[in-house]
Amino acid sequence: MALWTKGRAAARECGLDPFRSTYAVLEGASLELNGQPVLKDITVSLKERRIGLVGLNGSGKSSFVRLLNALRLPTSGVVRIFGQPTPDCAADLPKHVGFVFQNPDHQAIFPTVEEEIAFGLTQLGRDRKSAREEARAFLARHGCAGLVERPISTLSEGQKQLICILAVLVMEPQVLILDEPFTSLDGLTALRLSQKIAGLPQKIVMVSHDLTTLAAFDRILWLEEGQVRMDGVPGDVLPAYAADLERRAATESWTGSSL
Amino acid sequence: MIATYIPGASWLHRCPAGLKLIALLVVSIVVFPLTNLWMLTIGLIGVAACYAPFGRDAFVQFKRLKPIALMLAFLFGFHIYLGTWTEGLAVLIRIVTLVLMANLVSLTTRLDDMIAAVEPLFRPLKLFGVPPQRPALAIALVLRFVPVLMSIHEGLAESYQARSGRRRSWRLIAPLALQALAISDHVAESLAARGGSSGLADTRMRR
Repeated sequence: MALWTKGRAAARECGLDPFRSTYAVLEGASLELNGQPVLKDITVSLKERRIGLVGLNGSGKSSFVRLLNALRLPTSGVVRIFGQPTPDCAADLPKHVGFVFQNPDHQAIFPTVEEEIAFGLTQLGRDRKSAREEARAFLARHGCAGLVERPISTLSEGQKQLICILAVLVMEPQVLILDEPFTSLDGLTALRLSQKIAGLPQKIVMVSHDLTTLAAFDRILWLEEGQVRMDGVPGDVLPAYAADLERRAATESWTGSSL
Repeated sequence: MIATYIPGASWLHRCPAGLKLIALLVVSIVVFPLTNLWMLTIGLIGVAACYAPFGRDAFVQFKRLKPIALMLAFLFGFHIYLGTWTEGLAVLIRIVTLVLMANLVSLTTRLDDMIAAVEPLFRPLKLFGVPPQRPALAIALVLRFVPVLMSIHEGLAESYQARSGRRRSWRLIAPLALQALAISDHVAESLAARGGSSGLADTRMRR
């Protein structure tokens, strides 16, 4: 009981300000996983509405976005979200920073669509009945009334990913992080979902290999070997990134040494 | 319980889940000492009549008895061999009645209502520091990931067949287990990203 009240008090006093426009600040943030450096001394502040992350596999993109909602804590340096260092506010962050994972089958926790959506609401303290009603209304608002009773396992990949995004949005976060959300989707579904995402009021941080979608973003961070290689508007960063891919495909072997 | 729920608005759907479960328990207890064939038959007809709101689908539901038909035949034969055919028939009617009734409860009760109904039974867990909603979450996770694991097994079997020419193999057990463990890591992360298993209302540090 004592632990419970203590945790609650800590959350209330954490002083996170969800209306701050610079929502994330990394100050010399480094991360090691199993003794391997994954992110190295990153200093950057995020306030743009749509930020894209590009980089090769293993460049640290996924770890970077996981720092933003305290799924990972920096090994050294500080990550502030809405003005507060992540270790202090870890328990409160899911309310403010939503996270959509790459594979919907790894994200959806409940057997049916309605339960999946209602979960976020019960997490916020709604009782089961009103959570269910709100979930239904929410699904209807997003044109998914027909999916309410469906088992998640019977949905198409696109529907699954849409439900995963809605399950996060129902908690009304200020920031939405998407870690390669289109990987398993066909072109049409990916286009539809990216249009849906573009129309959201949330601030977006998206990891993607789809340079066409990212071209419409406000800012692109290019990560390489755990560091920010380039940071700027898409018109500058994306052509440089694409040219680098071409160059490396022509000159490097599979193991990364020059040919 | 996974696929059996049929949405509807019959009186059975409106009946609270707890009441249905208690009724099932009471009928199970009452039916067991009963040996009067007439009374048992009336009970069976009564339960079958409750399938009326499903119309034609009711007969599809009765087909659910098929998997236990062999067991029923064996029990019936066993009783004829050792006792009398009336005893055998009584056992048969009893089991069919209870199976149909239990099926009726799953048909007309949403999973989360069912879980909410049994949640009070888990309340003593609080004494050991386990929130009572934990077992409910566990049940939901099992139901969610059985089809996922089945499709992963399907994928492994295909990949195995593509290179070995054989369909099934015990060798797939190890990779399936490893994939299941990998998924459990992902799901744990996804649960944490939405506030963890205790919810955000009673905020407690997750780490």
